[in-house]
Amino acid sequence: MSQQAARAPQARKKYKMGKLERKNTLIAYSFLAPNFIGFAVFTLIPVVLSVIMSFTEWKGGALSSMQWVGGDNYASIFNTAKVGAKMAELGFFGGLDYFFTKVDLGIALKNTVFFTIVTVPLSLICAIALALVLNKAVKGAVAFRAILFFPYVASMVAICVCWNFMLMKNGPVNQILMSIGINFNKSWTADSTMAMWAIVLVSVWRNMGYYMVIYLAALQGVPRELYEAATVDGANKWQQFWSVTLPQLRPTTFFASIMLIIGCFKIYDTVAIMTNGGPGRATKMLVIYIYQEAFTNFRYGIASAISMVLLVIVLLVTIIQFSMESKYSNN
Amino acid sequence: MSQAAANNPMNESHFRLPIGKILLYIVLIALSAFTLIPFVWMISASLKLDREVFAFPMKWIPETFHWENYTLIWSKVPMLTYFKNTAIIAICVTFIQTLTSSFAAYAFAKLNFRGRNVLFLCYIGTIAVPWQAYMLPQFILMRSMGLYDRLLAIMVLQAFSAFGVFLMRQFYQNIPNELCEAARIDGLSEYGIWLRIMLPLSTAAIATLVIFTFVGTWNDYMGPMIYLTREENKTIQVGLRRFIQENSSDYHLIMAASVVSLVPVSIVFLALQRYFIEGIATSGLKG
Amino acid sequence: MKKLLALVLAVMMLASIAGVAAAEGAQTLTIVAWDANTTPYLTAQKEAYEAAHPGTTIEYIDVSSQDYDTKVAAMLAGGDTSDIYMVKDIPALLNWYDAGYAENLNDYIAGASYDLSGFVGMEANYCVNGEQIALPFRSDFEILFYNKDLFDAAGVEYPTNDMTWEQYKEKALALTNEAEGIYGTHYHTWLSTAVNYSVADGVNTLVDGEYSDLAYFYQLILDLEDAGACMSYPEISAAGLHYSGAFGNGNIAMMPMGYWYVATLIQHIQDGTYNVKNWGLAAMPTKEDVKAGSTFGNLTGVMINKASANKDLAWDYVAWLCGEEGAKVTAEVGNRPAWVSEGVADVMSAIDGFPTDEGSKAALLPTYVAIEIPGTALSGQISSILGEEHSAIMTREISIEEGIENMNERVGELLGK
Repeated sequence: MSQQAARAPQARKKYKMGKLERKNTLIAYSFLAPNFIGFAVFTLIPVVLSVIMSFTEWKGGALSSMQWVGGDNYASIFNTAKVGAKMAELGFFGGLDYFFTKVDLGIALKNTVFFTIVTVPLSLICAIALALVLNKAVKGAVAFRAILFFPYVASMVAICVCWNFMLMKNGPVNQILMSIGINFNKSWTADSTMAMWAIVLVSVWRNMGYYMVIYLAALQGVPRELYEAATVDGANKWQQFWSVTLPQLRPTTFFASIMLIIGCFKIYDTVAIMTNGGPGRATKMLVIYIYQEAFTNFRYGIASAISMVLLVIVLLVTIIQFSMESKYSNN
Repeated sequence: MSQAAANNPMNESHFRLPIGKILLYIVLIALSAFTLIPFVWMISASLKLDREVFAFPMKWIPETFHWENYTLIWSKVPMLTYFKNTAIIAICVTFIQTLTSSFAAYAFAKLNFRGRNVLFLCYIGTIAVPWQAYMLPQFILMRSMGLYDRLLAIMVLQAFSAFGVFLMRQFYQNIPNELCEAARIDGLSEYGIWLRIMLPLSTAAIATLVIFTFVGTWNDYMGPMIYLTREENKTIQVGLRRFIQENSSDYHLIMAASVVSLVPVSIVFLALQRYFIEGIATSGLKG
Repeated sequence: MKKLLALVLAVMMLASIAGVAAAEGAQTLTIVAWDANTTPYLTAQKEAYEAAHPGTTIEYIDVSSQDYDTKVAAMLAGGDTSDIYMVKDIPALLNWYDAGYAENLNDYIAGASYDLSGFVGMEANYCVNGEQIALPFRSDFEILFYNKDLFDAAGVEYPTNDMTWEQYKEKALALTNEAEGIYGTHYHTWLSTAVNYSVADGVNTLVDGEYSDLAYFYQLILDLEDAGACMSYPEISAAGLHYSGAFGNGNIAMMPMGYWYVATLIQHIQDGTYNVKNWGLAAMPTKEDVKAGSTFGNLTGVMINKASANKDLAWDYVAWLCGEEGAKVTAEVGNRPAWVSEGVADVMSAIDGFPTDEGSKAALLPTYVAIEIPGTALSGQISSILGEEHSAIMTREISIEEGIENMNERVGELLGK
């Protein structure tokens, strides 16, 4: 059987295990089946259809009216003709510069990647910190947890409207900045640079409560004995954190970082309500672009093609993290 | 784990001045206050008149309290029906999702089988594809199965999401393999291990999944918007959006409805958060 | 016991007879619409048609307006058989046509010798490749709303129907009173309310790839913003301020807006939630070389679904709705029908709450209405580009010249393909 199976603990006695392994595989499939069948029918098949769709032109008629266009959609979103011409004219980097400053996909990619790189670590750090603090018997922990989870349950409209108010030209945030000597005399969402930071701010603030809950749950699974052992070994709190808590939280961090990356790559609501991609294209993100193509321009093939770019990036990141995770968990 | 711990035997934390603690409280209170602002704004807006909501400069306390906004929303749209539908969907989805996810997650976390990694990547991959990209094929498929305009449609859409499987898999990885091995030696079947060991040890994880699934389903808008058409099938978020559309300037009513729709999810959260109290899951576990 | 049985039998028989009778004459027409429960004209149209055509029932399928295009795209792709779809914007209609969902109305129109003259040419916007794929029943043009009380207080004369933009600017500046928080005018965040007026000359369009004609209007707005005569764009968009509440609050003297706002305004003044008391309407100002009373507008219409099983009934309804009878019903509830005549204008100005002065009534009949953005295969993409540059100009992240250069370049590239 496969190499994978050979690594399984049960399969160490390779030669006799054929039957048992088949049985194990069957048992595994029986665990998967209830979820996988529903998942395959309602999610996986449509996703595969949309992969196919990215190579077609489709106006939304019958599925049979899809027309195969090969890589045209990809050529169109990457604007290969124009970028290629610029590369020939200005050299490779000139062409890249054109792609990232003028082509919709390039701008959306640049914005989305920037947003992700900033938001993911910030959210993770805040979430872990909050979970550690609120996992202790801090007075009022219950109330604090509920309050900090609140941004996730509250209506997005209310949240974004509120933040827009706070980030207005004469709003409280600018006034606080003014009091410490920073004079920013403009609404954040009306400034090409600050609009992005406004979205980062709101996202981190919203994510941190959410992932705090996940970390809180994960902390329950850290065996106390490990801390006791560490204390006996004379580790201080900080050392305990690095040598016990963080390694124990690794599966959760894997989950949180992947979900955060995907969430950041798919950010839509916050941007749609706060800036709608503006000013100009300063906060135009991939999904804003996808939405525009699918439901304003009805170019479903193009929208699918952009989604595939997103899918490839996320899969690459996931595979890297995945292999890192299995390396660690083997140790 | 002990190499780092062995180096430095200082243990000062017992005798620190409470300055750290005070600072901690200041930070927590500031954060909470910051977080509560939108909530306060929602409540304040829900008690104002339409034109006062965006009046500048903003008044946090309305001049007169318009409690009638809260009765108005019940008469303007059939909120009760919306609540009922959403509750049915959310409860069913949460139940199916939690059960099937923890089942599948056990296979991913603790069993070895052919195609495990590929299948798992499939799950994660679908999370990465924006719904807008596969919405139309999915709709055509569902419609051909006769699931259009039925609550069942939203249930099956939400109940088998990859998210739950992923979340539970990560929690199960925390549980030491030795525990399963020991149980296998004791003659427990895999189903038995799942039921007797995994489930009891993952109450906090299950509580998390229940909260997230419930809140996620409760707050879902696009799914019900596309799939549910008849008035008697609509959900709370569709109803809320109807408010926003129909009374596009009536933010006071929108906010009143938002506040009302928040109540059930808050109850679920508060009821389940006791599972996050330290140490509940660890008792009896000798890693 | 027998008596009871007899009674039950009798009731059952009666019920079955009634059932058959109802089934014979009964026809149901399904119409997909947005905000069907709260849009007064939809209710009025349904009631009027049902009263005139006993046995026919109209059933609306309600979709939220913001997601109308999305949901309808899904419904149509899923093989929905509703008889009629309301048409919100032209690019979406063109897409439905391309995907094969729109019934060609040419034969129906010819067969019924249906009179198109009342549309004064507007129906051409729904015509593709010689096929009339929909008919309009509402036509909203941009018009100037003003608050009479603020004009009186400032001692400024009411706007006239032949005002130029320069005169408008003077009035806006004269009406502004910073101490009392009064703004001379108000622009909503849309591109259309800001600069779409350039198409009123009948020459420029938003799809021609050349946008230097917008510069005049951008300059005008930014000047007014600088003078404090209107709220600034960043402020309005950050606050998500809705135009109706803004004007309703009573501290805005003038506001260009679509005609549909008349119905909202009247309703909210009557239920007492608005501060505005006395208001009036004036034609949109024009540039000096453009005929007074020219403006731009948009259409709302109906399309017959190719998959409908009742196309003849559907056509009967469409012909009624988009003709004079339907127009009067639409006008009675404060909307501006697409099919217009003197008779329809009388109905419009006679509704309760409408300003009584002659100027407001005269403003109801513009001399020329250009389409906001003509329907072409690229209209949607062009709007997206213009919208993006619009936000950059209005937040002053780039200058007007840069913005227009970007528009020319980006749309030019699209058209050049």
